[in-house]
Amino acid sequence: MSKLKATSKTVTTALHKKYMWTGTRAIAEAVKLADVDVIAAYPIRPYTGVMNSLAKMLANGEFVAEIIVADSEHSQFEIAKHASAVGARTFVGSSGVGLAYAAEPIIVTALGQLPVVAIAGCRALDDPGNFGMEWNDVLTFRDHGWLMCWARDPQEALDMTLVAYRVSEDRRVLLPHFVAVDGAAVTHVSTPVEPPSKDDVAKFLPAYKPLYPLDPAYGPVTKAQHIAPSLIGPELRKVVDNSMAKAEEAIQEAWEAYSRFVGREYPPFIESKFMEDAEIALVTMGAYAKDATHVAARLLEQGVKVGVMRLRYFRPFPKKELVEALSRVKALGVIDFSYSFGSADASSVLFNEVRSALYESGSRPLLMDFMFVGGREPSVGHFEQAVRLLQRSAEKGKAEKHVLWPTLRSEGS
Amino acid sequence: MKTLISKYDQLNWVIIHGRGVLNTGHGSTLTHTLATAAMLSGRESYYYMRYDDSPERDNIPMIFYTVIGNPRIEITLHEEVEPVGEIFNAIVVMEPTILISQTSQRALLFDGAKKDAVLVVNTSLSPKEVIGLVKKRCLAQNWSGKLVTLRARGYDANIAFPLLAALTKAWKVVSLDDLVNALDFSGASSKAGVVRKVYSEVEPVDVRISAAEAQMTRARKSRQTCTLKKGKWDLNSYRSYQKAAAKALSYAERISAMPSWQALPPGLIEFGPLPGEKNVGFTTSFARYLRPMVNKTKCTDCKLCSLYCPDGAINFDRVEVDLDYCKGCGICARVCPSKAISMTTEFLAAEGLSEKEIVTVEDSLVEYGY
Repeated sequence: MSKLKATSKTVTTALHKKYMWTGTRAIAEAVKLADVDVIAAYPIRPYTGVMNSLAKMLANGEFVAEIIVADSEHSQFEIAKHASAVGARTFVGSSGVGLAYAAEPIIVTALGQLPVVAIAGCRALDDPGNFGMEWNDVLTFRDHGWLMCWARDPQEALDMTLVAYRVSEDRRVLLPHFVAVDGAAVTHVSTPVEPPSKDDVAKFLPAYKPLYPLDPAYGPVTKAQHIAPSLIGPELRKVVDNSMAKAEEAIQEAWEAYSRFVGREYPPFIESKFMEDAEIALVTMGAYAKDATHVAARLLEQGVKVGVMRLRYFRPFPKKELVEALSRVKALGVIDFSYSFGSADASSVLFNEVRSALYESGSRPLLMDFMFVGGREPSVGHFEQAVRLLQRSAEKGKAEKHVLWPTLRSEGS
Repeated sequence: MKTLISKYDQLNWVIIHGRGVLNTGHGSTLTHTLATAAMLSGRESYYYMRYDDSPERDNIPMIFYTVIGNPRIEITLHEEVEPVGEIFNAIVVMEPTILISQTSQRALLFDGAKKDAVLVVNTSLSPKEVIGLVKKRCLAQNWSGKLVTLRARGYDANIAFPLLAALTKAWKVVSLDDLVNALDFSGASSKAGVVRKVYSEVEPVDVRISAAEAQMTRARKSRQTCTLKKGKWDLNSYRSYQKAAAKALSYAERISAMPSWQALPPGLIEFGPLPGEKNVGFTTSFARYLRPMVNKTKCTDCKLCSLYCPDGAINFDRVEVDLDYCKGCGICARVCPSKAISMTTEFLAAEGLSEKEIVTVEDSLVEYGY
């Protein structure tokens, strides 16, 4: 214990109550603060750091939980699903092909309405060994009833993990939750993180009280029973659909409560920067919103009216907020780290989502898709180019080419 | 299109080179402590490890970064920092053979360095010897910066702390007080004495190397050009890219030899060497810091070394080590029944220099408590 004291020293002055934590470490701290009961683990980069940190905390006696290291991602997500079904607060996570291998339990977890919280360290789906950052691994499950949020940095990854439990366990919702963190950009980068106190978290996130757990004490319950589609098929889907619809208000309330108990404020669905007078806007999720904002700030100094919107949630998709924010925007660029081969205009997942959200609205800016795929990282120069192209297109009233691959050799810079 | 905004212009960036397992723990301490020092002095700071470097894999060259932003700017740092242009303000070498081999991105030590970069090397070699190697091997063009050499193990078993002190002395981005505060903050107050001692003892020297003196720049032939016939992929053009990438002398050259998508065959295909030829794109010698030396008079030609070599780098017909592929793991020396193979440092074998700061995997395992 004396060793433990020495390594986790708390400095209590307001200025220094911060730690240099990687995103994975920050998430592990959130899991500790949430006092999770069961952790299912299986290593794959960039998620691995989360389970490493948790194993160390448990070994040091910092908190008590059951950690089960599975034989594969499929078993890992099965364990989380079943532990949640018997009433435990559970934590799980993976990356890239790990999520693909766990697809079956991931889907059933949502249909079983089990409030599992899972970390997804976003990683390209295998070209073998591709460790780059892409969103398609998480977005594979966009249609299955999981809530999905994207963190911009380690601090927000910690906050989002705590809020995810509150939203997921909300009786109106009861859906599992992915907290997506961009591989490397959030998982492996350390920045100052200020954790909330245990007391504040306890007020914000009371112990999990399952609704109908698989426990004889609660009476006879069967979960994931065999069903006859003609009798009950669509009705079961509608229950999930309804829960997803309810999630919007639960999310809003959870973030309000988070700022009340913990004192850190976030706009629940969309973080907007410089959008008041913006004629051109970039929309994205996750870590690279920082770069987009940096570029926008510099271009604003040159008189370019550009704003940035960062979607904090992808499921439920914040359609209303997006439409409102875009009412005056002439050209919108989607900074996207996904692909959807063969989709309309051979574009990407976020782009298609944004476009379909705007179809019936009065906000129909000119749209351009900037696809940063294959794991090659963008530089701020790419975002500057994106703004310039949007500017030119807005002036002409049309885009010569509206789906671009800026990092593709010979096409982009 | 020309871009005006640079991501790096307001950052102080140090790159730390080491080898997997030998330096993983110490590299982590070094970067974390430095980032904490910057944070405590009120600046935005980051540290990270390139995670495809496989720090769990013995001897693989690997890198850590610490980046200090001042004033605060919010950007996402590259996991894969392409060492092209002038990015790094300081370079720390934890394992001295990095001076004579490729670094983790199969780059050279000075790829991506600023002209006034600070170089800190953990070595028993003199500054003069290090400068000689830098001129010959590391592509330092027009370098007019500072160099510190020290035998870090002589000060502390955890080489992170002496190296931090030396770095702080030569590169004034954090102060000695900030560093000592960071030690307190991360529970390493007991290292303050070592840090102060090293800080007062090491003397950074000024170095000036002109492009004309950088032997590697002079020796470089014009870049191999790759052509794409008929605008689509064919085997010969693909091989021309492979060859050019393998022959690239700097990271910038390697990037420019990478094929456009039109030159790629469908289906994640990479073409191996033809029988009798080498796999030019995939030499593996960058992992080697010890070299097997074969004593022909003791060798009984029993072939065991060739059979045991995990990289197939020892010829079966004649016992001969292919240095393009030997990773220096030492298995051949262990299995040789007549003790005809011994491991010597790459410094001695390649440069005739006697280096005493090199550790072995066995040493480092003891350090990590095995």
